[in-house]
Amino acid sequence: MNVDSLSVSCLIFAHGTAIFYKKTRLNCMICYKKFISRFLVCLLLIGFISNNSAFAQGEALFKANCANCHKPNQDYTGPALAGARKREPSPEWVYKWVANPAAMIATDPYAKTLFEKWKPTVMTAFPQLKKADIDAILDYVDNYKEPTAPSGTPAGATSESPDNNSLLFGILTLILAIVAFILLQVNSNLRKLSDDKEGVLRGEPVPFYRNKTYLMAAVLLLFGLGGYTTITAAYGLGRMKNYQPVQPIYYSHKVHAGTNQISCLYCHGGTQDSKSGSIPSVNVCMNCHMAIKEYKGEAITREDGTSVNGTAEIQKLYAYAGWNPEKKEYNPDNNKDGMPDGAHPIEWIKIHNLPDHVYFNHSQHVKVGKQNCQTCHGNIQEMPEVYQFSDLSMGWCINCHRESKVDFYNSADSTGNKFYSIYEKFHEQMKDSIVDKNGRKIPNPHKMDSVTVEKIGGTECQKCHY
Amino acid sequence: MKLLTHIIPATIVTAAFIFSGCDSKREPGKVYMPDMAYSRAYESYAKRDSVKFTMDMFKKGGDMIFFNNLPPAGTIKRGELFPYTLPNDSNGYKMSSMVKNPYDSIVITKAQMAEAGRLFNVNCAICHGATGVANGPIASGGYVGGVANLTADAYVKMADGTMFHSITYGKGLMGPYSSQVTRAQRWMIVKYIRTLQPNKDSTSSAATKDTTAKKI
Repeated sequence: MNVDSLSVSCLIFAHGTAIFYKKTRLNCMICYKKFISRFLVCLLLIGFISNNSAFAQGEALFKANCANCHKPNQDYTGPALAGARKREPSPEWVYKWVANPAAMIATDPYAKTLFEKWKPTVMTAFPQLKKADIDAILDYVDNYKEPTAPSGTPAGATSESPDNNSLLFGILTLILAIVAFILLQVNSNLRKLSDDKEGVLRGEPVPFYRNKTYLMAAVLLLFGLGGYTTITAAYGLGRMKNYQPVQPIYYSHKVHAGTNQISCLYCHGGTQDSKSGSIPSVNVCMNCHMAIKEYKGEAITREDGTSVNGTAEIQKLYAYAGWNPEKKEYNPDNNKDGMPDGAHPIEWIKIHNLPDHVYFNHSQHVKVGKQNCQTCHGNIQEMPEVYQFSDLSMGWCINCHRESKVDFYNSADSTGNKFYSIYEKFHEQMKDSIVDKNGRKIPNPHKMDSVTVEKIGGTECQKCHY
Repeated sequence: MKLLTHIIPATIVTAAFIFSGCDSKREPGKVYMPDMAYSRAYESYAKRDSVKFTMDMFKKGGDMIFFNNLPPAGTIKRGELFPYTLPNDSNGYKMSSMVKNPYDSIVITKAQMAEAGRLFNVNCAICHGATGVANGPIASGGYVGGVANLTADAYVKMADGTMFHSITYGKGLMGPYSSQVTRAQRWMIVKYIRTLQPNKDSTSSAATKDTTAKKI
């Protein structure tokens, strides 16, 4: 682009001089004026080109040095840089500041107010930036224009209708039953008519509600249905599948673990070491939310259609943490309880609750068994509000223990878990070949491909009930 | 017919009663024997079900849950390193450079380094990036600015002790990680960061992927 505009300006210049020579004889004065004006246009163009390259240089410098903490028109970790020259006390101030901010904070009043406003972060010193570099950066941010955002289509909530097959089949069955009932009634009436015609003597047909066959069928049906409902309800008692309580803060796992790819173990790190899958304390939330004050992601809507104000939910977190977002510091601990004043724990509602007579250890499954969180908890990273994915019944546990393969240590590629090395018999059986009595290598006659959890005692009662 | 007129409303009322009781997914539901399902003994994150557990009768809320019960000061877990005693102030920060990494004198195995890398990927990489160049999803998403590029010169020169100090107490916008990674793990993470930095012989292989990270 620069080369193009340069050549254009040269062309105009050449054109101007050509015209000058052509018209010299006719009217010198007019030509001279024209020449001057064209020369000025050239100068302007050249100026524009050099200015443009300074802009590009400023952009490069800004991105390399400043963009980590500053944005041109928005406050970020540090203040927005556009218009910085108008704010600062003297034109020379910024050069000293960039070279050594720490010294300036100690001496200069304006630097001190800046520090007070943006603490705890302190501006990094950039002694390598020359005055010209700083000027280029400030020119860049003053002339910076927001790139026009591509008009994104609003993320429409695709409401998936659940599979209504059972309902459909139920309605079909009902319709067929009514049709059969009507046909039977029609049949009996027709028989009555034909009997009357042929003179066969017959009693009045019994109405259907006194018909013993119908009554028997109805009783059987009710008995079957009642029994089925009773048994399923009895099974369901104590199981809380799909339990989705309203939590004190609308915390979306979809936003955190899905969109922002935070590992489950970042917050639930205790899962690797302890029996319970640990709930993070508020300081873990504050690791990121000291800096993230507002929610700017996709709009969140609850299932009933009301929208969630993410920024308000973050404010709730600040109240729990005793954090003052304006001052960017925790409240002072005046009542000496070891926490900032006003801070109190978030009473998250426990969703997954195994009965007290079952022992379940998270670290055993996550660390030793190397199970994914999603195996039991479902696709948490896609749940805006967490619900209980599995029914946590004993049948469900046993089923998984029968199917899951144990990750035995493989000395060939040193993968797997040495924890299971005590199961020597299984290790022998998994080998391709064994050494027989005569010391020869023969193919293993009892070759096992894998060992399930059941084989190492995973379905013994006292493993979990004791 | 009298039978019908009585039975039908009775059935409807009973059905309505049953279904109204079990439709809400917001309620935890009922259990057979609450004293077998809900622990009478101390259980993590369970509410204390009786006032006799509360230390302070006049305190409401916070003390009823087992969130903030820290062990007595000075408690050391079995196998854990001795506490880090430098205070969280500018003097402590200056002095931290003199603290030696206890793993300097130990030969670090491949498995130990892989574990440190896994911890780095879980706890640090969300901002600092898996390669340490400040390109983690939170940093590159523009949520948190000022994330340190751990491969930069300043951090290559930084002493192990200072890094440990910053992980323990936090630095700038970075929060303290002492509740998430143990002292031994923090020292190992510092060792792992050294393998990401240039001009150092990288002895370990890249960390194995975190097994519990989400599947995509």
